[in-house]
Amino acid sequence: MSKPRVAIFDFACCEGCQLQIVNLEEEILNVLDVIQPVEWREAMSEQSEEYDIAIVEGSITRAEDEERIKTIRKQAKILIALGACATIGGLNKLKNLFPLDDVKEAVYGKHAHMPHLNTAATKAVDEVVRVDYYVHGCPIDKREFTYILRCLVLGKKPVIPSYPVCVECKKNGNICRFEYNEICLGPITRAGCGAKCPSNGAWCFGCRGLVDDPNVNAAQDVMDTYGKTVDDLKAKIMLFNIQQEQADG
Amino acid sequence: MSVLKIKQETLTAWVSELIKKTCLYAVQAKADKFDFELLEDAHALRLDYDVSNIPPKKYFQPPVEELLRFNEQEFKTTVDDSPFVLFGVHPYDVNAISQMDKLFALGNKDVHYLTRRQNSTIVACDVENASQNVFSGCLGFATADEGFDILLTKINGGYLVDSRTEKGQALLKHLPAAAEKATAADLEERETVWQNNIKLLQKHKLKARPEAVTAALDKAYNNPLWEERAARCFSCGSCNLVCPTCYCFDVQDDVNWDLKSGLRYRCWDGCMLQDFATVAGDHNFRKNKADRYRHRYYRKGKYVPEKIGVFSCVGCGRCISACVTHIANPVEVFNKIMEDV
Repeated sequence: MSKPRVAIFDFACCEGCQLQIVNLEEEILNVLDVIQPVEWREAMSEQSEEYDIAIVEGSITRAEDEERIKTIRKQAKILIALGACATIGGLNKLKNLFPLDDVKEAVYGKHAHMPHLNTAATKAVDEVVRVDYYVHGCPIDKREFTYILRCLVLGKKPVIPSYPVCVECKKNGNICRFEYNEICLGPITRAGCGAKCPSNGAWCFGCRGLVDDPNVNAAQDVMDTYGKTVDDLKAKIMLFNIQQEQADG
Repeated sequence: MSVLKIKQETLTAWVSELIKKTCLYAVQAKADKFDFELLEDAHALRLDYDVSNIPPKKYFQPPVEELLRFNEQEFKTTVDDSPFVLFGVHPYDVNAISQMDKLFALGNKDVHYLTRRQNSTIVACDVENASQNVFSGCLGFATADEGFDILLTKINGGYLVDSRTEKGQALLKHLPAAAEKATAADLEERETVWQNNIKLLQKHKLKARPEAVTAALDKAYNNPLWEERAARCFSCGSCNLVCPTCYCFDVQDDVNWDLKSGLRYRCWDGCMLQDFATVAGDHNFRKNKADRYRHRYYRKGKYVPEKIGVFSCVGCGRCISACVTHIANPVEVFNKIMEDV
């Protein structure tokens, strides 16, 4: 079996999810046993326009990015969104809450109107092109990434949890964050991270995106019980989960 | 085997000896709550606990458990037969374990569960402090008469140690000094503890006997309460996962980097989770929250009881505490359906 040619591309992001792949360290050798990387800016100099699998990190924030991701989509047999910026738009979407000019001025000051700094509202990758597989999280979980990779090379559909983080939190034996009067997004956030944040003393920030059928009404209902307001809840949700539209292209 | 009486200091010294000799999981403080963990210092043992965060089922059916390893030619079942002692199990959890013993031995015997169970020794302990949501007293599970190797009961001046099995006797060999026998008065005091616990462990009151719940469930399938209560359900499975009588699991494979060998594992699952009943072709025969919510109460009150002859909620109250939207109280559900019959 010939190894699939894999290209890794980055858009608007911190490139921390690619770094997680580099951080596989010795396991990188195993990865190279099953795939052939042909482009990966963070880890190699070569470039290629011939690839089977495109792994895309980052969100789409400029008109030229939209064109570039469409070209990648045409070329790739399989397109994988890597990390929260790509899968749900992530933190980058906070920008969409403010007028674009204000955002540009806040970031670039007097240079805000230079043509190369022209940006648009942030989109997740699947708001522009069809995405086949998602590697969720901010950053991604290395174990989950390698599992998904092995599944794809075998032609098998990876099993990504559709249930909330609470499941993994309970498996870890954690005491519920709500017991400490904290708002935790665990009940509406897709699991798969192993409940890392609640297991290390924080609430769930929702970086893996919402579950397929989140009961946001219930989340609002329980705020009273815990002496919180719906605004407290929204403030937590919007960090990673500002509404998005699905693209069909 | 006569009942012994030991002082608190003797108990601590005994546990210290056991820690040296065996793998001992016992209930300990965890933040302002309690949980079963490996005990490393006998002084950390907290038999005065109210309820453990997660039930002791995790030692017989771990949250994630390897089932077998395979390669292209063959597979080998993974069985964990290392002996261990579970120390300080409350009677409602003992009753839950007894139910699991029956269920995992039905039909195809579950070698993973049963091997762990065979190699375990259970030291039960009567409840000293009732948790805020316990209701095992309504269900006949405030005390246990079987399903353990030793039963400890706190009375004035120490603990009564009631060993019922050979495994129990083996642990007693590590008692640091010869223990005195319990007197008739001590045993009477224990009887009082039991009678009191039946009353004390009723923080929520079931309006009738559990058999009446089973009967009421026959007529409750279309009760509007399932839909009403499930409207607030996150489908997060917390009620399942902290339940000592929920044992459902999901089985998955993971392959190694050679893409030829790998392992099969199972992990805790729950009937409240959206994809629990999803089968091939993406068909989901319990797609609605209300269907899943109803299913859980039918399991506890009807389906499992019909299978093993025992009511399958032991009244530990963990689901009530774990549900952040406060819809998981079985007593509220069962009382309502009995009212509506």
